[in-house]
Amino acid sequence: MCMLLSITSYVTAQEGLQINEVFEGKILDKEEMRESLIKGETLEPYKLDMLHTIKFAANSKERAKVNALFIRDMEDRISNDDSNMEYESRDGYIYYAIVQITDNKKGRHRYICYQCRDKSDYYDITLAYMEGKASLADLRKTFKKK
Amino acid sequence: MNKVTSEYVRVLLDRYMNGENSQEELKLLKDYFCYTQDLPKDLIPYAQMFAILDEKQQTPSVEALDRFSEDQAPTTSRRIPLWPFVAAACIAAFAVIVLAPPQQKEESMAIAYVDGKELNDKALAMQIGQEALQEIFSNGNEEEQLHELFNAK
Repeated sequence: MCMLLSITSYVTAQEGLQINEVFEGKILDKEEMRESLIKGETLEPYKLDMLHTIKFAANSKERAKVNALFIRDMEDRISNDDSNMEYESRDGYIYYAIVQITDNKKGRHRYICYQCRDKSDYYDITLAYMEGKASLADLRKTFKKK
Repeated sequence: MNKVTSEYVRVLLDRYMNGENSQEELKLLKDYFCYTQDLPKDLIPYAQMFAILDEKQQTPSVEALDRFSEDQAPTTSRRIPLWPFVAAACIAAFAVIVLAPPQQKEESMAIAYVDGKELNDKALAMQIGQEALQEIFSNGNEEEQLHELFNAK
């Protein structure tokens, strides 16, 4: 139980976001997730201060809940411009999204990312939250597979 | 097109939130939020959600959004002079800058959480994080997606 709470207790940066419920294990049990939480100098080469990712398999109902939470956070996007956001939806659900959301701290950028892959009997979902000085162009350059 | 009632839309929304909509029901929802001018206020946030999902759809009408905002805002308003608040904010900001202790550099950490176990393993945490971002930024592995597509049945 202590272990279950430990990662959650470290994380405060996502506060205020709807998808925090997913990171906190309120939609799916955290034991079902593969998670990473990294802060500080390890991320300096990527111009990031914080990276939090989770990956999990979800059923239709869980996927719909995560989808709705993510869309509500998308309403907080900086703009619809390509330089701040990219996403793809099919059949009424988001399949892929990278969105820069507003931040009050000067010089810091915040991003939420989502990917849902249909595996026919379940959905493979990846969620990420990032903070740092990196622009979306920087992140694309760093993480896009050649 | 038959008129869809807001009650039926609420039923369809429940099904949508459970991932149970058929394509036909989804189209009904999209059409409803796209073409209905006078939305009940509890459905307005859903209209915004469907507008995000389909860029071609209209966002809720200005009147509907105004009505929603009015409902959220306090009903009474009166003119209040701003200068005392501005002065107080300046004093508070000065105090924070001058009196606050120097900020400590944020602590580094790297934790992986796999199979219900927390691991203080920096390399593994980085690997999981990088894999997740590479998958998202590459919008999935296209080669794998093609493989799945051609081997679906």
